[in-house]
Amino acid sequence: MMRKSNNIQIPTAATAAIWLAILVAPLFLDDWGVSQFAQYVTYGIFAMSLSFVWGHGGMLCFGQAIFFGIGAYLMALTTLEKFSWFGGSQTVGLLLAISGPAVVAHLLGRVLFGGRGLQGAYFAIVTLCAAVIVEITAQHWRFIGGFNGLLGVPPLTIAWRDGVDAYMTSIEVYYAVFFAALAVFAALTMIVRSPFGSVLAAIRGDENRTRYFGYDTARFKIFAFTVSGAIAGLAGALFTAQFGFVSPALCGFALSTEVLIWVAVGGRGVLMAAFLGAILVRSVESYLSDSLGNYWLMALGILFVATVVLAPQGVFGRWLNLPLPKRLRPAKVDDKSAQEMTGMA
Amino acid sequence: MEFAVAITLDTVSFTLTLLLVTMGLVVIFGLMNVINMAHGEFFLIGAYTVVALQQVGAPFWTGLLVAPVILACVGLVLEELVIRHVYHRFIDTILATWGISIALKQSIIILFGPTSQSVVNPLPQPVDLLGVTYPSYRLLIMTISLGLAISTFLFFYRTHAGLAVRGVIANRMMAASLGINTRRMDRATFAFGAALAGFAGAVMAPIMSVDPQMGVGFLIPAFLSILVGGTSSLLGAVLGSGIIGTANTVVSSLWTQVAAQIVVFSLAIVLIRTFPEGLTGRKR
Repeated sequence: MMRKSNNIQIPTAATAAIWLAILVAPLFLDDWGVSQFAQYVTYGIFAMSLSFVWGHGGMLCFGQAIFFGIGAYLMALTTLEKFSWFGGSQTVGLLLAISGPAVVAHLLGRVLFGGRGLQGAYFAIVTLCAAVIVEITAQHWRFIGGFNGLLGVPPLTIAWRDGVDAYMTSIEVYYAVFFAALAVFAALTMIVRSPFGSVLAAIRGDENRTRYFGYDTARFKIFAFTVSGAIAGLAGALFTAQFGFVSPALCGFALSTEVLIWVAVGGRGVLMAAFLGAILVRSVESYLSDSLGNYWLMALGILFVATVVLAPQGVFGRWLNLPLPKRLRPAKVDDKSAQEMTGMA
Repeated sequence: MEFAVAITLDTVSFTLTLLLVTMGLVVIFGLMNVINMAHGEFFLIGAYTVVALQQVGAPFWTGLLVAPVILACVGLVLEELVIRHVYHRFIDTILATWGISIALKQSIIILFGPTSQSVVNPLPQPVDLLGVTYPSYRLLIMTISLGLAISTFLFFYRTHAGLAVRGVIANRMMAASLGINTRRMDRATFAFGAALAGFAGAVMAPIMSVDPQMGVGFLIPAFLSILVGGTSSLLGAVLGSGIIGTANTVVSSLWTQVAAQIVVFSLAIVLIRTFPEGLTGRKR
């Protein structure tokens, strides 16, 4: 292992540099490239929601797309005026897309974590099955479009402009997504570095021990799960406004596992690494999937296995792991303990 | 009455096949503490082995013999290449086997295409049974699966090697210090579980639409069975697949397939929530 004291600033600098790079990226991209990149950043938001609940909370969720999909559907249903009493308002759509999945996540969390609670693998399998069930239900629910989903979801608009002008240009969409991502990153980073985050890390490390310290671990987990659901929902809403459609696949099993791969490849324990993992895998995918065709998914599966076996912290995990908050730093920097505390489960 | 008999027969045949898949999962989980997400793909490869043999004109029955052998080899290779490196990282075994599952499924798509294949039913003649006309092939499946399940039980509970395996499940360290080669046992178990799943896939191929997604379709009920039944013994697998298999078949024949999946899942959640260690599991 490296000595931490020498390069304690690298992750901070790298994180800032990456945000700056994403900020100025449109200068170097054409219109199509900008809208592509905006989509990757949206997936990045989704990836952060999983990194938060899995990498920081230790809950391996195989059904993260449930929340993404519910967010996407709520956004689509509202803006397509299927919920007629909101008049197709995009603001209401976004709010619903954030709060709806949060409520679902909260209820699911209560069922799964309450009482003696499900742990580790059991939780993973139950969420996996839940994703399959939600997808099947969406396929057969006429109101939300069944197999075909909903088409023609209006793109993002700006409230103070009228008519056709109201639709955002691709640059504007890009920056809307960018600032949403930045806000999510800031909020999650604050949570992770707060005392709440410390308890979450403790639960990830050893839930029983944390419980013996007197923490009601179920409540912490439910809260983290709820936050993660809300963020996944936001990502889903942004996704559907960019793509203009929703389909049952958005809340299913395949997308759930895809986001898992992005996060694992990027680095599950570090928000920024997970974010970058999503962007990286998606970019490489769009670059290679034409030439590789069916072989791409096979290569991705093998890459995933290789990352899990050889580099459990992910490709970027080590380089973007922010230093501990001041209150947790030992007075004199003691390499060993600092590493133990930042080490990922 | 006839309807009841038909449902009962359907239930028994589905449950027994589910049991074959579930037993492999339980043994692998119990012995090596590995949650094998690629198990559905083992099932899938078993079914496609039959398809491939049919394409070259070999008789169906060879498939039943070849599929377990191929899967045992696949299991051995995967155990050596991947699984043994993640034994001590429990959650990572889920991820690693998941990656394997993606790669395997995709190789099947590359080899055979994404569309569904059909396998000719080797016993098309139906038989009369208690007043219902029932496909004779399904009866054969029941017999084979039952026989295989019973032999697996006899192996684990009546032979010396089975005793050794149960010893490792109960306490790996102790078993190792008593001179049991746990490494060899892991390898053999993984191959055995894979072979069981492959056999189940081969047997089911003529009565299912063989497509690349069929593995997942079997993996999820198998997982639910394990969670419901408990992971501590093979008996849990029997109980779990019994409950899940019955609920699935009964609801889907009375109602729809979709309703069945939702009902089964909700039932499983309730059971898992009430008995977190499974119905046969002891409180630790």
